Amino acid sequence: MASTPVMDGLIQRTVSLHLPFNVHFDVTYRCNERCVHCYLDHEDHGEMTTEEIKGVLDQLAEAGTFFLTFSGGEIFLRKDLFELLQYARRLHFDVCLKTNAILIDRQKAALLRELGVRQIQISIYSADADVHDAITKVRGSFGRSMEAIRLLKACGLRVKIACPLMKQNLMAYRTVLALAEELEVPYILDLTITPKMDGDTSLLALRNSGHDLLPVLQDPVLNPSAHGNQEAVKAGGITGSATSSGLESSAYDDIPCSAAHNSCYISPYGDVYPCVQMPVPTGNLRRQRFADIWYGSPQMQRVRAVRESHLPICANCSIRPYCERCPGLAQMEGGDLLGAYERACELAELNARLAGVANPVSAFHKKRNLAVTVGAASPFQILGTPLEASQ
Amino acid sequence: MTDGKPAHNPSLAWREIDGSVVIISPADSMVHELNSTAGFIWKHTDGKRAAEEIASLLTAEFDVSAESALLDTLELLAVLEENGLVMFSPVMEGMRNG
Repeated sequence: MASTPVMDGLIQRTVSLHLPFNVHFDVTYRCNERCVHCYLDHEDHGEMTTEEIKGVLDQLAEAGTFFLTFSGGEIFLRKDLFELLQYARRLHFDVCLKTNAILIDRQKAALLRELGVRQIQISIYSADADVHDAITKVRGSFGRSMEAIRLLKACGLRVKIACPLMKQNLMAYRTVLALAEELEVPYILDLTITPKMDGDTSLLALRNSGHDLLPVLQDPVLNPSAHGNQEAVKAGGITGSATSSGLESSAYDDIPCSAAHNSCYISPYGDVYPCVQMPVPTGNLRRQRFADIWYGSPQMQRVRAVRESHLPICANCSIRPYCERCPGLAQMEGGDLLGAYERACELAELNARLAGVANPVSAFHKKRNLAVTVGAASPFQILGTPLEASQ
Repeated sequence: MTDGKPAHNPSLAWREIDGSVVIISPADSMVHELNSTAGFIWKHTDGKRAAEEIASLLTAEFDVSAESALLDTLELLAVLEENGLVMFSPVMEGMRNG
């Protein structure tokens, strides 16, 4: 949602009061697709029951949660989904869904409309059915997702397309843009491929290299920084994280992200984390009250205490404005919640260079290269390959 | 039209946050924020009370005259209705003055 003065003020207050304004709730990890880049284990290890989830929703409403995203796994595999949605809406949550939509028919679309679901985010990997289906590993999935989008739109529901970009579909992004335009729906391209939740990093092999991403990063529609438009850079452009709420605010300027400040993640097993991408367990809702975890967990408090100025490397990085560092990925990929990690630095350098910064080098790379070039007359000469040379 | 008993548009999402009531309409994703007085009126707009009843609750809660409370309540409800946030149940003939 675009930030407005009202929304910005609300975010400022929820951050300063530590209200759990925005909760991402995975109600199942089961799925009817097998996307090649998925970070989840799709086995059911004991999902919360309908009554357990309702109890959690009561607690979230009491704690001040307003934005509630039901995600998975594939949420429509839960037989009680509509009962949960109805319950959530009775508690006046603003409800958004993330789904592959292949189980949505006309009747379900009408029910979603009736229940007042605000937005349904649907993953589409390409306008080419073969490319899409090869990623989901379900033949016909593209056609079914597209049909669902049309049904939802026909019911007057707001649909958003999310397109994670990986090696399999990188250059399909233009077709997704065209599709979104044709359907008149917003979209988000996500350059983030994350390790699995258990720490397995094999999925990172699906990531595009920085060099391969250049056409995307240079696309003036997608990346305003390519034209040095700092206001647009701050607004986030149209690339970002498909797992994010998309709520932008200056309240986040002094903190690494919203995790533990005014947002958190709940797993189907009742585990609470600061974010879906931050594997820091803070408590379990089968044993503890939400408010006790949110306000009392030492892990949650630790994440909440971090300020940008505390980041030992990134705080002094000259190209930080071009960086989309994620604390969770810093933990998963670099082993340190406060640390820097290669992927963020690589993309930040590319973005900075495209915005016209001469020879941009992240603080992390400067430090690392200083370490490996001790004694060299000019260690910085080895850094910052010019853009032209890397093409 | 502010006759009848006002009720929230059921498609809305809303929450009281730090003393304010925040409302989002899923139809247009518009965010509305009500201050504490308006939020009080909002929270008592339940489809069971008429504007006059809400106004008397407002008088009891805040330092405001009955006349002023009624005017404020009617004015707010009209704005909320105009924005599609509140709906008025029709008043049956014969019940209007009863």
